[in-house]
Parts: sequence; C-alpha cells; structure tokens
Amino acid sequence: MGFFDLFKGPSAETLAAQQEGEARRADILLALHNGTVPTRVQRRLEGARSGKLPWIATLTPAELIAVRSHGIKPIASVSATCWLHHGWSWTEGHQQGWEMALRRLRDEAVAAGANAVLDVKMRTIRLPVEESMDFTLIGTAVSVADMPPSPEPIVATVPTLEFVKLLEADVVPTGLAVGAAYEWLVDWQGNAARAWMGNIEAKKLSQLWNRVRHRSYFELKKNARSRGNGVLAHIDFSQMFEVEQNERKRYLARHIIVATTVDARPGAPFPHEIKMAVDMHAGATPLTGTNRHHQSYELNDEEGAI
Amino acid sequence: MTSEIPLHAKQRLKGLRSGVHSSGVFTSDFSVNEFLLVRKAGFEPIGLCVGSCVYHVGIQYASWNKNQELDVLSKAMYHSRELALSRMRAEATAMGADGIVGVKLSIKRLEWDEHLLEFIAIGTGVVHGEGHKGFRAHDGGPFTSDLSGQDFWSLLHAGYRPVEMVMGSCVYHVAHRGVLASLGNIGRNVELENFTSAMYEAREIAIDRMQAEAGAAKAEGVVGVDIHEGSHVWKPHVIEFFAIGTAVLPLEQEIAPEKIADPIMVLSVND
Repeated sequence: MGFFDLFKGPSAETLAAQQEGEARRADILLALHNGTVPTRVQRRLEGARSGKLPWIATLTPAELIAVRSHGIKPIASVSATCWLHHGWSWTEGHQQGWEMALRRLRDEAVAAGANAVLDVKMRTIRLPVEESMDFTLIGTAVSVADMPPSPEPIVATVPTLEFVKLLEADVVPTGLAVGAAYEWLVDWQGNAARAWMGNIEAKKLSQLWNRVRHRSYFELKKNARSRGNGVLAHIDFSQMFEVEQNERKRYLARHIIVATTVDARPGAPFPHEIKMAVDMHAGATPLTGTNRHHQSYELNDEEGAI
Repeated sequence: MTSEIPLHAKQRLKGLRSGVHSSGVFTSDFSVNEFLLVRKAGFEPIGLCVGSCVYHVGIQYASWNKNQELDVLSKAMYHSRELALSRMRAEATAMGADGIVGVKLSIKRLEWDEHLLEFIAIGTGVVHGEGHKGFRAHDGGPFTSDLSGQDFWSLLHAGYRPVEMVMGSCVYHVAHRGVLASLGNIGRNVELENFTSAMYEAREIAIDRMQAEAGAAKAEGVVGVDIHEGSHVWKPHVIEFFAIGTAVLPLEQEIAPEKIADPIMVLSVND
C-alpha cells in the first residue's frame, strides 16, 4: 500500500474481506463463549475427516511407517488456546489455563472424528500483554483402524513413535495433568535467609520449599486421578523470590509441574528383546524421543506476579 | 567387519584411478548418512539448487484496539517465499532434476533497511537412478520437499512420495487492551477471550491456506507439518503464523507395498 492509497476509500474487495473477517471473529468469540468449536474450524475438520481435504500431520516420515504398521491414520491438525489474565494467581493460572486448552483440544478432536490426539505440543506466544499468558496446545488428530470415533479422544503429549511404544507395552498416555502451588513467607523476625552466619541451614526457606512442593505434587495427583493411574512428569518449574517492603522481607516460592498422564496395567509384559542397532539419523534422533514438546517453560527466571 | 570394499573404491584408495571425472561434479549439502540414504532410496544427487529473493515488505496500519489480519503483510510473506521457491525449482528443472530434497527456507533481515527481507531457498536436486519419471510433481516438474535425506528414505518406505512443499502464512495484528478493561480483572483469573480468539483466527487462516495448497497439488496429505509463530520486522503486537509441511501422495508402483519392510521398534538405552 502506497502513501496516497491512505486517502482513497477501501475497494469493494477490501470491504468484503473486512466483513468476512468481522463475521469470522464474531463466530470465534461466540464459540468460545458456548464452549463449541468455531464454524470454520469445524468445516475444516469435517472436510479432513471425510477425505475431501488433505490430511495434515505433524508426524515425521519415520513415524508414518509406524502409522502404517499400527493402523493409525492422521486426520487433521488440531489446536486450542486459552489466553488467561492472572489477576488472582499466576501460578494457579497454569492449572486453569492448560485445563481449558485441553478441553477445547478434545472438542476439536471429537469434531475430527478422532480416537486420539498425538504429538501434542505446549506453546506460548510471548506478547507484551501485562499479567497474562497464552496457553496453546497443538497436535495431530488420528483415528485407529477398526475403531469408531471416540466421544472422548485421548490426548497424548508424546510423539507418535513413543505413543506406539507405550501402546505395545499396554500403557495408554491419556492427557495432561498440572500441579501448581505457591506460598508467601513473611520474615517477621528477619532471620529467614541468615546471610551473616556462615554455614547454616536457612530452615524457614527449606520448610517453605517443602510445603510448596508437597502441595504441588498433591495437586498433580488430584488432577491426574480422573485421567489415569500414573504420571510421567516432564516439566518441573520452580522459582523463589525475595521482596523487600517496609524494611521487611517476604519470600515467594512457586512450583509448577506438568505431566503426561498414563493408564498402565501393572505387571504387563513388554514384548521386545534388546538388540544392538545403528541409527542412521544425523544429529538428534527421533528414536530417543528427546524432541522438546513445549516452549512454555523455557526460562526458569521469568518475572510475574503470583 | 568382513564386508568387501568395492573394486571401484579400492582402485581410488590405491591411487590407480584419477580423481578427475569426465561426467562432471555434483554438489550437495548432504551429510554422510543423508547421502547414503538418498542413494539407497534409488536417487542420485545432481546439484544444489538455490533461489533467493530480496523483498521490500510494505507498510500496513492496524487499529490499535482491533484484531485483524494484515493482508498486505501476509501477501508479502507469501509472494516473497513463492518467488524464492519457484526460482529454486526453475534451477532444478534446468538441470533435469526429478525433485529437490532437504529444502531449507530461511529469512534474513537486511541490516540497513528494516523493511527489506531476504528469502533464500536451497536444496539438493536429485534424479532417479533408473530414470523413473513417476516421482515428479503433478505438473511434471520436480517435486520439492523440506524433508532431509533420511526422512526422504523413510517416507518412501512408509509408502508415500513427496509432491510439493506447501505453506500457509497469516500476519496478524493482536489488539491492545484498554486500561479500563485491565482494571476490571484485578483479583481474578479470567480468560482474555479477545486474545484467545485472535490466536484462533490467525492459526486457522494459516492452516487453511496450507491445506488449500496441498489440495491444489492433488496431494493426499501433508506430513512433517510445523506450525509456528514469528515476528520479523514488525511492532510487538504483530505476529506471523506460519504453517509449513511436505504434501505427499501414496506410491503406486514405484515401490511395491510388499517390498516395504515392517519397522522394528527400538527402545533407546542412550539418554
């Protein structure tokens, strides 16, 4: 657009595009309110489900081989976002935010006629919007051969190869669980940190950590119970701050754990023997499954209110 | 190791054979594993193909408090990538390649002008060893794919062939929040639906466009999709959602399905 275009009225084409955009935004807002899938997303998912539109998969080609051997068929890319303002608690907002995103992701998977969402990645876009955070989940909805669409598709935060490995071992990854807790400690006596005494345990701070960590693990368990009988915790995020106010020190400890929940049958035999193999992959290999599945907790020193 | 070194290689090791090749030299940016696997898949590299494009990205103003796609910028990001890719493809066509594997698409900012972006597409042109033309794209030109040599081999052994690198872009302005709106939420955790819906709209547009490209390439699906966000030269509230992947079609007779080996599951004991 040139400078002089600014003084011209918008063309008919632009106006039509603007109107379409307005309608689309109104529809998305309505869907968020009603807890449904936006019309346009619904249309895309149904198109992919019926085969009218090409399927979309975040899987690697090596994973497509596993797909072939295990009857897993990619359908569409599904995603969900919850942008949360944490006017009350930053820490607890993580539980709330991921929970909401998870529910929406599952709704999209249902619309796609899926049995599972694989390769679910946790993402956060860092826009400079005060006291808020974006909780986004992106994954690939798949159907499993000879199975009707599930009313409650499972959400697996592991890549497809790991998913297949788990299935073979009679373990089903079922979703995400979050445990979050924080606590403020006011240092009334002014001796919590004991900086002047040489080698000595800062007992109050130890106890603070202990309480906060136990509480977040308790929350994690509570959160996971409805989804499975175990968790594989993959994100462990903790911070402690010292704040000085009116010549009194206060300490904030917060702890967030994010885990993949699994449904495992205890004592199920694993059908494979161990063999030596040469991996032809250059650099990072999908075999070890070390792909980072989130970028939401990259920094361990992020600022924020509680 | 008891494996025999082939005669051809032995002669070269002994210095019996000269290094000068009458048939010319191929260029590639393959790693050793990549090179071996591309050849194992039945292809020979013939040369690096490059396409570049320096693009002046226009200016577009958005209302401060409004969510909207910045279509001028979306088009710029699209057009410039398209130019770089089509130039790379033209080079491949000129050298008679059946396809390009390992395409890397990168964007660089030029230092002296914030509106100038440089787009570079680079990949290795390959031909089928037995002159099979069935691997070409729907328009008879070379296929393009951002898959590495290893992934290329894996894809063929999964029963698919690459057709075209497809992408979708949406540059989006996310509204700012008014001061009054922020005040209302003190002491509560609430969803900012306006922001949530911005993410939904922008992502949906990008995925939609990529899917439309795959449809136009007559593909069955898109593999290795990456959906990410980036801000290149813009103001803090402007982001680009970008979806990219390789559109694929099932192999018909290129590799018979019965020849495809079953995968062996591996539990790595390495960390």
